[in-house]
Amino acid sequence: MTTLQATATRPGSWRRRLFALAPYLLLAPGLLWLLYFFVWPAAQMFLMSISSGTLDRGFRVTGTLKPYTDALTKFPTQWGNSLVYGGISTTLDFLIGFPVAYTIAFRGGRYKNLLLFLVIAPFFTSFLIRTISWKILLGDEGPVLGFLKHTIGILPVEYSVLYTPVSVIAGITYNFLPFMILPLYVALEKIDISLLEAAGDLYASRWQTFRRVTFPLALPGVFAGTILTFIPTMGDYVNAELLGSPQTRMIGNVIQGRFLQLNDYPVASALSFVLMAGILVAVFVYARALGTEELTG
Amino acid sequence: MDEQKIGRTPDITRRAFLQGTTFAGFAAFLAACSGAEQSSAPGSITVPTAPPVSAAPSLASPTPVPSPTGPLKFANWPAYIDLAGKAAEEEVYSPGSSPTIEQFKKKYKVDVDYEEKIEDNKLFYATIQPQLQGGSPTGWDLIVVTDWMAAKIISKGWAEAIDKAHVPNADSNLLDALRNQPWDTGNDYHYPWQSGMTGIGFNTKVLKQAGIPEPKSLKDLWQIKADKMSFLTESRDTFGLGLLKLGKAADPSSPTILDDLQAVYDDIKPLVDKGLRFTGNEYLQDFAAKKTWAAMVWSGDLASSGTEGDMFQIPEEGLMSWTDNMLIPKGATNKYTAELMINFVYDPKIAAQIEAWNYYVCPVKGADVEIKKIDETAATSPLIFPTPEMQAKFHNFQFLSEEAEAKLDELFLQLSGG
Repeated sequence: MTTLQATATRPGSWRRRLFALAPYLLLAPGLLWLLYFFVWPAAQMFLMSISSGTLDRGFRVTGTLKPYTDALTKFPTQWGNSLVYGGISTTLDFLIGFPVAYTIAFRGGRYKNLLLFLVIAPFFTSFLIRTISWKILLGDEGPVLGFLKHTIGILPVEYSVLYTPVSVIAGITYNFLPFMILPLYVALEKIDISLLEAAGDLYASRWQTFRRVTFPLALPGVFAGTILTFIPTMGDYVNAELLGSPQTRMIGNVIQGRFLQLNDYPVASALSFVLMAGILVAVFVYARALGTEELTG
Repeated sequence: MDEQKIGRTPDITRRAFLQGTTFAGFAAFLAACSGAEQSSAPGSITVPTAPPVSAAPSLASPTPVPSPTGPLKFANWPAYIDLAGKAAEEEVYSPGSSPTIEQFKKKYKVDVDYEEKIEDNKLFYATIQPQLQGGSPTGWDLIVVTDWMAAKIISKGWAEAIDKAHVPNADSNLLDALRNQPWDTGNDYHYPWQSGMTGIGFNTKVLKQAGIPEPKSLKDLWQIKADKMSFLTESRDTFGLGLLKLGKAADPSSPTILDDLQAVYDDIKPLVDKGLRFTGNEYLQDFAAKKTWAAMVWSGDLASSGTEGDMFQIPEEGLMSWTDNMLIPKGATNKYTAELMINFVYDPKIAAQIEAWNYYVCPVKGADVEIKKIDETAATSPLIFPTPEMQAKFHNFQFLSEEAEAKLDELFLQLSGG
């Protein structure tokens, strides 16, 4: 009864309470989504990663750590490939993406939207189709190698790129480039031109302006871009599968193989956790190195 | 008489030409072929057996004839069904491109969703296993898997029993040699779709250009530049041929099988280090792109979907033989339609039409007579009707003990980079 009286005496308090709850209500769909599709499967996967057994006989949680020791010791080549290919691709994406984003942001003019559209246009085609078309592009007699071999003749006929680390890195670099360009563009676009003019007024050269004003202001974009590129490249397995050979397999391929071919769910789960943990640590270190206050822009 | 017209389209003529070239060297092979040892029957311990079929419904009350429901969800391997028109040129199924499927649709007035979804038994199994385990439908009404996988699915009780009354053609036309499989003696759960062989594939022109002699044996195959070759992701095929190459018995019940598998691994590993790859049917794309000089291939693929100069070679050491079987996975929503399809493809006319396209080994009695009306070359092709000399070289490396299978899987995954 007291509550009833309270609401009667203070009309609008339910409203205030609703306002107080609003952030939580707005978060609820996202939280529920994460709970059901991330936390729950992750918990299940964790239990699987400390289980033993086979698919046909069933798995039992035994608390064994063997899947983790296997995950950490049995696949040095594939862990190495993931790190190297992911690192090189992210660097290449940055080197290619920064000038593109810079040009669109500062020199795009009225073509800005068109140029941005062109950056994401490839996404209108399936990821798989795009990767498979690299098979044709890099094929032994494809438009690149065929031209270099027969028209110019600077390459021996037997030379091939497809199914080597080069083609895997090329595929990854291509597929994740927009994830680098877009955050960089957003960061560069936000920069107040008058700051650059002020630098000029203070006798900074163009290079100095870029190094001491533009680039530091674009750091949040650099951070977001490298994270958005590096994380998926580390776990990628499609490029290594389609454009690589058994020697260029990455950790994503191992996880896929363990899950689908060997049905070795415990090791596959342990590998996934190690990968997640590794990426988290890397991101944390990277954030500290760049300075966390930059992250919020 | 639509199907007759389709049989005479220009692309079929081109294919007939290709098939002619495919077997250019065949007579020489047959001459050289000696009666090698018979492949041993799979060890009885390791073959899973089918659960008993529940008693037939009481004879007193005849069940009403069901009507076909659709769309029939049919998962099969690439290069396995007859195609016409543009799809035939591209060698990829698209809706409306297969005379057999179209005739079925017309006859039973039911839609068929045919998909070339299977390139590897294990990979496909992984996509349906969770549903079967959980007792929910897989989304497929009819699937095609190789003997050992069919046996596995049936032994777990994950296949629907086929109602014999609905498949009279299959019941009477299945070749005797394919009956009485230890894992499903009465064909209660499966009927063969096609049989085939695993051997060496290469392109004469490409090899000539590269100045390399054509491989006649597995030993020759191992000598080819590893990064211009592919073996199969189907590990039983790759390791089976690997055993033959080393002169070991491709016999799952051999007491030394674990060591022998290890020996095959040691034999293939150097090739992998030099760039050997493992593929499913997608080796066809590499052949078309002249990327592959030679490969382990399945017998019909190059004849049906290859390019000029592609050859299937029976290795001197022997070859793998197998059968892919139609199963109705547990919980299929259109079971009756699936049975109609099984029955339909066991009509010798239809079987001949499929065979004349895909060049695999036909499991249907009477198809050899029917195929003469469609294509004379096909009627005499040893790919479709293997000679006794070839059959003497057949090996069956499928029904592995749990221990051997685990060893094989682990070794293969290490080879393929997983």
